[in-house]
Amino acid sequence: MLIAVLCTVLSCKKDFIEGNPQGELITGNLTSQDGVEALLTGAYGLLNGNVNGTWGNYGAAPSQWLFGEVASDNAHKGSSNGDQPNMNLIEQHSPTSTNDNLANIWDRCFEGIQRCNNTLRVLSALQAGQGTVKFDDTRAAQIQAEARLLRGHYYFFLVRVFKNVPLITETTTDPAVDNTKDIYPDIVNDLTYAVANLPTSKPRDQVGRVDKYIAQAYLGKVLLYQKKYTEAYAQLNAVITAKPDLVTLSFADNFDIEKENGPESVFAVQHAVGTDGTGGDNGNVGDMLNFPYAVACCGFYQPTIDLANAFKVDAAGLPLLDGSYRTNPYISDMGLTGAAKTGYTVPRTLALDPRIDYTLGRRGVDYRKGYGLMPGDSWIRDAGNAGPFVVVKNVLDQGQITAGTAPGSTNVTGLNVNLIRLADIYLMAAECAVENGDLSRALVLVNKVRARAALLPPKTVAGGFPAAAYRVSPYPSFANQTYARNAVRMERRLELAMEGHRFFDLVRWGIAKQTLESYFGFEGGYFNYLRGITIETRDDYFPLPQDQIDRSKGILKQSPGY
Amino acid sequence: MSLCLALNVKAQTRISGKVIAGDDKAPVIGASIKIKDAPGGTTTDANGIFTLNVPQNAVLVISFVGYNNKEVPVGSQTTLSITLDPINNDLTEVVVTGYSTQRKKDLTGAVAVVNIAQLKSQPAASAIESLQGKAAGVAIITDGAPGSTPQIRVRGTTTINNNDPLYVIDGVPYEGKLSWLSQNDIESMQVLKDASSSSIYGARANNGVVIITTKKGAPGAPKISIDSYYGIQTPRSNTFPKMMSPQQYADYLFLGYRNAGLTPSTGTNYGTGSSPTLPEYLLAGSATGQNITAADADPSKYNYTRDPNTFYQITRANQQGTNWFDEMTESAPTQSYQLSATGGGENAIYSFGGGYLKQDGTIKNTGFTRYNFRSNTQFTALNNKLRFGENAQYSYSEGFGFGVNPNVAGEYQDEGSPISWAYRIPTIIPVYDIRGNFAGSRGSGLGNAENPVAVLYRAKDNLNRSNFFFGNVFGEYDIIPGLTARTSFGLRYENYNGQTLRYPNLEFLEGNNSNNLGEYQGYTTEWTWTNTLNYKKTFGKHVFNILAGTEAIRSRNRQLNAGRNDFFLLGNQDYYYLNAGASNFSNSSTGTIGSLFSLFAKADYSFNDRYLLSATIRRDGSSNFGPDNKYGYFPAVSGAWRISEEDFMKDNSLFSDLKFRVGYGQTGNQRIPSFQYLSRFQSAVNSAGYPLGGGNGVISGVYQNAYSNPAVKWESLSSLNIGLDFTVKGGALDGSVDWYNKKTSDMLYPVPLPSTAVGMGTSPFVNAGDMSNKGVEVNLGYHVNRNNDNPFKFDAGINFSRNINKVVKLADGITKQPYGNFRSLTTSILEAGQPFGAFYGYKVAGIYQNAGDITGNPSYTGARVGGFKYQDVDGDGAITPGDRTIIGDPNPDFLYSLSLNVAYKNWDVAMFFNGVQGNDIYEATRYFTDFPTFDGARSTRLLDAWSPTNTGSMIPSPYVGVSDLEYASSSYYVQNGSFFRMKNLQIGYTIPVKAFGTKLGISRVRIYASATNIFTITNYTGLDPEISQESDTFSVPGLDRGIYPSPRQYLLGLSIGF
Repeated sequence: MLIAVLCTVLSCKKDFIEGNPQGELITGNLTSQDGVEALLTGAYGLLNGNVNGTWGNYGAAPSQWLFGEVASDNAHKGSSNGDQPNMNLIEQHSPTSTNDNLANIWDRCFEGIQRCNNTLRVLSALQAGQGTVKFDDTRAAQIQAEARLLRGHYYFFLVRVFKNVPLITETTTDPAVDNTKDIYPDIVNDLTYAVANLPTSKPRDQVGRVDKYIAQAYLGKVLLYQKKYTEAYAQLNAVITAKPDLVTLSFADNFDIEKENGPESVFAVQHAVGTDGTGGDNGNVGDMLNFPYAVACCGFYQPTIDLANAFKVDAAGLPLLDGSYRTNPYISDMGLTGAAKTGYTVPRTLALDPRIDYTLGRRGVDYRKGYGLMPGDSWIRDAGNAGPFVVVKNVLDQGQITAGTAPGSTNVTGLNVNLIRLADIYLMAAECAVENGDLSRALVLVNKVRARAALLPPKTVAGGFPAAAYRVSPYPSFANQTYARNAVRMERRLELAMEGHRFFDLVRWGIAKQTLESYFGFEGGYFNYLRGITIETRDDYFPLPQDQIDRSKGILKQSPGY
Repeated sequence: MSLCLALNVKAQTRISGKVIAGDDKAPVIGASIKIKDAPGGTTTDANGIFTLNVPQNAVLVISFVGYNNKEVPVGSQTTLSITLDPINNDLTEVVVTGYSTQRKKDLTGAVAVVNIAQLKSQPAASAIESLQGKAAGVAIITDGAPGSTPQIRVRGTTTINNNDPLYVIDGVPYEGKLSWLSQNDIESMQVLKDASSSSIYGARANNGVVIITTKKGAPGAPKISIDSYYGIQTPRSNTFPKMMSPQQYADYLFLGYRNAGLTPSTGTNYGTGSSPTLPEYLLAGSATGQNITAADADPSKYNYTRDPNTFYQITRANQQGTNWFDEMTESAPTQSYQLSATGGGENAIYSFGGGYLKQDGTIKNTGFTRYNFRSNTQFTALNNKLRFGENAQYSYSEGFGFGVNPNVAGEYQDEGSPISWAYRIPTIIPVYDIRGNFAGSRGSGLGNAENPVAVLYRAKDNLNRSNFFFGNVFGEYDIIPGLTARTSFGLRYENYNGQTLRYPNLEFLEGNNSNNLGEYQGYTTEWTWTNTLNYKKTFGKHVFNILAGTEAIRSRNRQLNAGRNDFFLLGNQDYYYLNAGASNFSNSSTGTIGSLFSLFAKADYSFNDRYLLSATIRRDGSSNFGPDNKYGYFPAVSGAWRISEEDFMKDNSLFSDLKFRVGYGQTGNQRIPSFQYLSRFQSAVNSAGYPLGGGNGVISGVYQNAYSNPAVKWESLSSLNIGLDFTVKGGALDGSVDWYNKKTSDMLYPVPLPSTAVGMGTSPFVNAGDMSNKGVEVNLGYHVNRNNDNPFKFDAGINFSRNINKVVKLADGITKQPYGNFRSLTTSILEAGQPFGAFYGYKVAGIYQNAGDITGNPSYTGARVGGFKYQDVDGDGAITPGDRTIIGDPNPDFLYSLSLNVAYKNWDVAMFFNGVQGNDIYEATRYFTDFPTFDGARSTRLLDAWSPTNTGSMIPSPYVGVSDLEYASSSYYVQNGSFFRMKNLQIGYTIPVKAFGTKLGISRVRIYASATNIFTITNYTGLDPEISQESDTFSVPGLDRGIYPSPRQYLLGLSIGF
């Protein structure tokens, strides 16, 4: 009897100890058109910097608020000193390689790159006949172009922050790749392929997909970072020509959840909340700390006093390019006590660029729609730590909160983040024009940006009066290349402040040290923790994450100076 | 011949007698009665009575298993009353080992046989809890969470991943928590500690095997017993961390600004003067602190609503300070009532058990309830050749509130747990606002901790329930004498479910008004079919026992989760159904499968009771491994030499029993997530979705969530054990000493691969690295009057174990692997040559005394006078991450325990002491209480901080805006975790049966009083020095993020036997 039992069991043993993964797919399940499309969707999925879990994606935020803005003269980390202390070190340019924000962007970008590479790999297997029905050549080329553009984007995010980045592609078999090679040419290759193979209309008619204009704009941007002004201009100008005149478009629409994917939005990270059954995993999780304190959460990402004052204009309605805006600075109600504090009124006679009140919130001035006047310190976690100003651009109007935020988390919004918008392209093209000596073209482009700004409706204070002597006028002319360069750079700061560009711009312009040390001298007068900071050559980039160096068994080399 | 017969017949006298047992005074059934130096004999009947014809001057020799032989001269008596004294040296005790039973004296491996009576003298919800200190080499870390299964480690940490042992319950293997099993149902417990004893369990035996046998019946009239206790648990409030009073805290804040050369800017609570004053109110609507006017604080404005726009709370400051640990704890009852009945007849035996246990927690709004039921029966048929039966257990358990019945010991530790909040919430916040609703951190400069009393109260509706069935049916048949075939089919079926609720918490600074129901339902099944063939044969002095068998195991788990937000009614349990929620519909399901097929064999041989030899082999096939590595082989061999049986030892005056054991074997570990050998992808809307169409519609995509290692195979452990068992003549002293050397190789762990290889997907488990555990165990027993009738009895037991753990090697090319992330801390490291889980960070060398001290010594950006000075470990002249080094070891130098049992007539007293020496604990809560990280409570330790007049202090001075290096992982967090604890004291009194008369039928009544956790001697400053490690892969031992502290417990118990 027992022998019989034994034999029965033995004979079935081979099957008995085999099985299939539960609720998971294996490679063979994906070698199909649907499989490749789904992998490509997954590659898009990392644009918001989050795999899942909402919290903790700050370094990888598509807005690049931490590395692009907090590291510059535009923004403070905000909140209180002890909250996310590693971000203080980014702001102070003294991060160590164990700073978690570094690992954060590194890991997420490489996850995005893996997804692009997996898409390309499985696509190639399918087209080689290893699956069922192949794609037609057009769609196959489009998919390649979409995946390669996304890969270019993830690499660009990495190279701006770390400079020395290992290149992993779909053909890499051993991921132990060093980081000594300049990967800009590879990014350009990916984007060039995308320009050649993407249609001007959205693939599959889906607005969230990348198209030829995105590819051209991105290629232009990357070429600009490489100072290839002529080639960059050609790409950027092609987009400008194809798009409506900027002056006809609304500045505020760029930050309005009800106006997403409008004509100015060239490449926007699509954010969605509320309908996917998640706690906001597909929303704007990277900016979830970045709200006025009492409004949603956390009170991070506060504009600097320097930025607020940069919006001052002279009698002609032009910015103060010589830095004199720091004279007699406007600091709202900071430092006031007693009756002076409670009785504070907004200095309405201050001559300001109207974009200030669409970029930062200040006491006494009408905030975004539905909130009324910004009340001051009660919206700020620790005014002594990071000043009197709060963010605006990533916040929703009050009436948009219910539909526009994740269930149970009003700090995860569905607001898209613009990676490249038309004004950015105008100003990049203007920059190319300046460097190419075409000052008149630069003047036209900059003045279009300013003319559009002049159309902004004034913000008001109590009683409905305008909150400032708003004024923004076109430059009558650019006297010389240096002046034009300064004007374009200042315009870029004012137009795109708090949108993740500033620190990277300072670095590629080669003026990070002088700008930031001067800024620390000014801002340090208000905030002790910024005093006496010096900027070294190494500070143009951030150190590679230590855990990645460790895991690479030494193949990855730390950036010089760290 | 006939004469002889006649002579014999003539000399014979017919006698009768009764044999009773000296221990329980019950008749001894089946005792053998022989006549010394003459033929003839008999056995006692069911009443212990025998009759026998004996010659004149005969001497009777009475023997029975487990009792000393007794010689009784008949003399002129015709009616004898004979009492047999029990043998109390334990050697004849039959213990259950792998798939068979052995006499304890025939053991060749390292097996700890737990004294169940001693175990039960410490009533606890989990039998594992009372196992603490009862078996040398078995380290148990308990906490106060109701229903929790404590962390158990057999002979150290053998692997980087899950270190829990395999349980074998009534012959059926089981992995998991044991909160379903009643301590009262256990008849015996053995721990197989070395590979030679455990390798018959092959691939699941690396972490040791705990064999549990539940109560079986015995022929005879039903024996019924009722065991019950009721008690009170009280929080050990003297161990609560001490926090600054509100005034002390305000002074500390102001000083921090002054030290940084700044004007204090601490919000609205403490005024704008040069020294702080305390506010009357903390919050009134949107006004805070000293800005609150009488109009703001007008109670008529108070509106405690769910709508954040109209929410208006008024909270007074608690200027005296709230002791949050006191507020969140309370005395709590614990009780247990257990009934059991055993008995049987010639062809059937049975054992029945049922009970109820309810343990509330000393942390408010937590508790655990269990109903359990057990039935074990066995039938014999076909002339006793066929035996079959069943062991079945069912338990229903229910836990509510925070931290109850966790799946992994200590897993409730989290920075958002109520215990963590209690460390963080400022003492100036009262528990309740002016209307008795919960107060919180909403206000000015009150940090972002949540009111722990509120969190606990709201968590009271979080329930977990489990319907748990575990058991087997078995049959065995004697084919020919000595050859027995056995089959057993075991089944585990658990159906579990629960719900978690979220309530609006607008009093909390980061709170919101969302409310949510999350509900889950799941089941786990595992069946085990075991078939064995066992042949026992004795040829003269040679005894053979050969066993061969097969085992097939298949398991499956599946769980469904769902949730919704926005419920019209709050706090109403009758209303919480998913359909009633209005938004955020969510659902998911997950599952796992696994199977094992095994062949095994065992051969035991003994010669002359003197030389013992045992060999086992097992081949396991596992679904966890790919086609190339499905099978693993696990052999073992062991031997023992009973020196005391040798002629040259016969006359020694010291030992009555002396045995030397040597064993060597291999075991395995396959406890990794399934399908590591395959690259796996997920179609997941949360992880790979993207709103390609814009708007809020998300399209699901696919991503690679897990990377593969096709070569993954068994982790194996080889161990050598050398031991000595001894009993000193007279039996007053016995004990054993074991030395072992275990080496884990091809250790399975998920070496984190660089993102360039796996993105953010899961790195596969690889076989990388070696770990070594070497150690010594000693247990000694001392017994007074064990084997005589003296009414005074005394027993003492000592257990000592020392284990030295070392990570020998990590994956190729990896020498250091920091891990264990908590906030901005990385607390632990794996490093070749260091113990597992060594703490990692900067070594505090002192406090910078002056500016020259900073410039003259290695320093870092933000170094300051009054801040930490670290050791420049790498000698590069600056403090950089390269200076992080080993700063502590969570592994103890040794564990020890002492038990004392005294009995005099009807009184008995049991005492138990337990200690751990030489381990470090990483007190991670100091991140919040000792550094200016978040606004919140500060430890009174900081009152002794460095200052120009207190230069000897090693505590940094208050300072606003310190460098993050000051609160980075450093030796400041690492504390000595040694402790010595009087764990248990029990005093019992057995009421003489005659007090009840015979009519009631009561055979035994014992009442007892006991107390646990009576005192603890330790220098550790946290809540409790027993810290369960976190997580089961990449465990972080000894990291204290806020443990549920063990309470003190006072019980009154009553046991009645019928």
